[in-house]
Amino acid sequence: MTTGLLTASYITASVLFILALGGLSNQEKAKRAVWFGIVGMIIAVIATIFGNSVFVTEWLNWLIIAIVVGSIIGAIVAKKVQMTGMPQLVAALHSFVGLAAVFIGINSALLPHSEMSNAQLMIHNVEVFIGVFIGAITFTGSIIAFGKLSEIITGKALILPGRHTLNIIMLFACLALGYMFLTHSGNWTLIIMTIIAFIIGAHLVLAIGGADMPVVVSMLNSYSGWAAAATGFMLGNDLLIVTGALVGSSGAILSYIMCKAMNRNFLSVILGGWGDTTGPTMDIEGEMKAIDIESVANALNEADSIIIVPGYGMAVAQAQSAVSELTSRLRAKKKRSKIWHTSRCRASSWPYECTSCRSKSTV
Amino acid sequence: MIVGSPKEIFKGEARVAMTPESAKQIQKLGYTCLLETGAGLTSNFSDKDYKDAGVQIVKSASQLWKDSNIILKVRGPEKSEISKIQPNQHIISFIWPGQNKALLDSLSKKKVTVQAMDMIPRISRAQKMDALSSMANIAGYRAVIEAGNQFGRFFTGQITAAGKVPPAKILVIGAGVAGLAAIGTAQSMGAIVRAFDVRPEVAEQIESMGAEFLMLDFTSDGSGEGGYAKPASKEFIKKEMELFREQAPEIDIVITTALIPGMPAPKLWPKEMVDLMKPGSIVVDLAAEQGGNCEVTIPNKMVETKNKVKVIGYTDLPSRMATQSSNLYSTNIRHMLDDLTPEKNGVPFTNMDDDVIRGATVLHNGKITFPPPKPKVAAIAKHVEKTVQKTQEELDKEKIEAEKASGRNQIILLTIGAFLTWIIGLYAPSDFMQHFIVFILSCFVGYQVIWNVSHSLHTPLMAVTNAISSIIIIGALLQMKTDNDIVSILALISVFIATINIVGGFMVTKRMLAMFQRS
Repeated sequence: MTTGLLTASYITASVLFILALGGLSNQEKAKRAVWFGIVGMIIAVIATIFGNSVFVTEWLNWLIIAIVVGSIIGAIVAKKVQMTGMPQLVAALHSFVGLAAVFIGINSALLPHSEMSNAQLMIHNVEVFIGVFIGAITFTGSIIAFGKLSEIITGKALILPGRHTLNIIMLFACLALGYMFLTHSGNWTLIIMTIIAFIIGAHLVLAIGGADMPVVVSMLNSYSGWAAAATGFMLGNDLLIVTGALVGSSGAILSYIMCKAMNRNFLSVILGGWGDTTGPTMDIEGEMKAIDIESVANALNEADSIIIVPGYGMAVAQAQSAVSELTSRLRAKKKRSKIWHTSRCRASSWPYECTSCRSKSTV
Repeated sequence: MIVGSPKEIFKGEARVAMTPESAKQIQKLGYTCLLETGAGLTSNFSDKDYKDAGVQIVKSASQLWKDSNIILKVRGPEKSEISKIQPNQHIISFIWPGQNKALLDSLSKKKVTVQAMDMIPRISRAQKMDALSSMANIAGYRAVIEAGNQFGRFFTGQITAAGKVPPAKILVIGAGVAGLAAIGTAQSMGAIVRAFDVRPEVAEQIESMGAEFLMLDFTSDGSGEGGYAKPASKEFIKKEMELFREQAPEIDIVITTALIPGMPAPKLWPKEMVDLMKPGSIVVDLAAEQGGNCEVTIPNKMVETKNKVKVIGYTDLPSRMATQSSNLYSTNIRHMLDDLTPEKNGVPFTNMDDDVIRGATVLHNGKITFPPPKPKVAAIAKHVEKTVQKTQEELDKEKIEAEKASGRNQIILLTIGAFLTWIIGLYAPSDFMQHFIVFILSCFVGYQVIWNVSHSLHTPLMAVTNAISSIIIIGALLQMKTDNDIVSILALISVFIATINIVGGFMVTKRMLAMFQRS
């Protein structure tokens, strides 16, 4: 495959990725959009393999096994996961991207680059450094997010005393190691920096409460994009840069939108300083009145207009179809029922649970 | 334990403290229910209805007082009833301990525990047992009905072949629960409703009920503690009277509901106002029991003045709608029992640390516990200083200002961005700059694309971006071709996990989107 053909394939893949993201603007297009993404990915991988004669490696058998087994595992996991377990899965998958970025960065440092000029080497090392740093944070951050979402780790925010100082110290340590790395003190600096970045990532996410994980996952999504972009810079691969930047910026914007919807400060999320912005919990006025099924039925029968506020609980209880049936029955009784979809409320920072119901019950 | 409800013996009292419906709920709390035969008749509940609900009917009042541990009543115990009280009995009823010191004293001799339904603090947690509110609601409704009964015209305006009918104009003074209920009723019957209250914060409630709030141009605030009104200053009253004098000739029906806790009702509608009203007009005075807001009012009577204005001073309005009143009151009592029986084991526990129970309990094992300490929570949030409504002009101005500011910000940011890019360009090699162009442009594309994504699709978006971010596999693939084994192994692991991400990510996204198709 010629370089021209390779570039052409990359351009096609980039366009397809953009369409895949943009296609999510409405539900009909969304189904097509996923296929754009899949085709884009296949084109990108095949073009890379043939364009760079990757298959001449002595590890070819292993490569094929890795791809086949990886595909099978991915398929099984995606098929098996409960709809309510989706957030955890996405978080877990992020950690893979982060880890891959770390490995690729380290590899890049291990490989000889004799043909580079001094300035090029300098830039290259900066890129390696950034890629590994972001990748490492993404990796451990995602693992912690996964743990919190699947309740392996307690959802409570872990607030260590002086955690900000701790973060800053670790950050400066990373910067110092980075400087040493750039001045050719050896690859050990990179490894130690990676370990510290692992700790930073875990610590950042540990400090955030379980209920606020969705934004964190979206943010980690963004980080994984930036890691990919940094990898693209170090390898001089435009497709990686394009896709990484796409994912990075879209993840950041998405987190920003979510934060706004949840009335949270965007900056404090990225920096993991969530606990700072949380004021005292709102005083709940009034009293919850427990009610039995019979009374609910009575109330619904006598009510004139009804608002249903679906939340995460409905998704957990798999009650979408029940709610849908309820609404259609109420409709039959000429009630002005209304499902108040709470995409703006906190319970549905995973708006998906509600929307799936909304689409089903056509409300 | 046994909960019993005797027949009300107060003359003209038609309500009953236990309905078949509430009895069912009370039994769920672990109690046994007793009722004096015929107690529900005046509220249209027959003994059979009660029996069907599992209530045992007792032949006489003395038997009921003897057998019950807890007595539910509407009116406070009369003399003849006090003599029937058993030691350690528990009584839940209206008591009015502030006005009925003698009753409280005679009850205290009997070693009883008494919860006064009129002493329940007005906090949101206690709304479900707020009998005063539920009775006031009925009184407000009934006031309009009584007025309509005496009023010689339609409420709603009509234009008929036989001529034009002007709508009735109704003024409601005091926008508490009763006032608001009156406003709502009159409004739904088609009258033009105006309302007045000394507490400016109720303006919004009045307007939400569809009435016009008569604003007094005065800065003092008539809000007292616990959401009630407090006495007004002289100047305030003067202004108020001026306003009423203006309204009186125009108004067809006046409904007064103004009360200040622990004081006689303020005289807001003096004889002078009654004289100013048109013949055929009506005044309904809901404060008649506390002396009346209108000087002409005679409690429990309807009087007609010389200028043919009828002044209604009935004090038994809730009792005139006994079925409805009993239903609401018995529900209030049932909620009270609910709070008194946290274990649902049929044994009441008077928890004096509970604000609501503490407030309602006026006698605890024969010891007078009235008046209760002040509630810890303010019933209604302090009135917020009214923000000055901005004119359209000012709003437009602000909008333009905001746009200008955001424009300025954008220019500043762009300048900084350009400057930074130049600095990078100054030092970085040219092939880096080429990649850099691609990078920046992609960031912009991503930014623009995401704002269009619909809110409902944010989760699939996250999943699809996750899948796409596994493009990092390319980096790993490129590193496969090397002699360095460590590099190859690391790259191989990267390929492996990235593949999991690709396949898993896309499949999860597809599953999510599939949920949208089943509609």
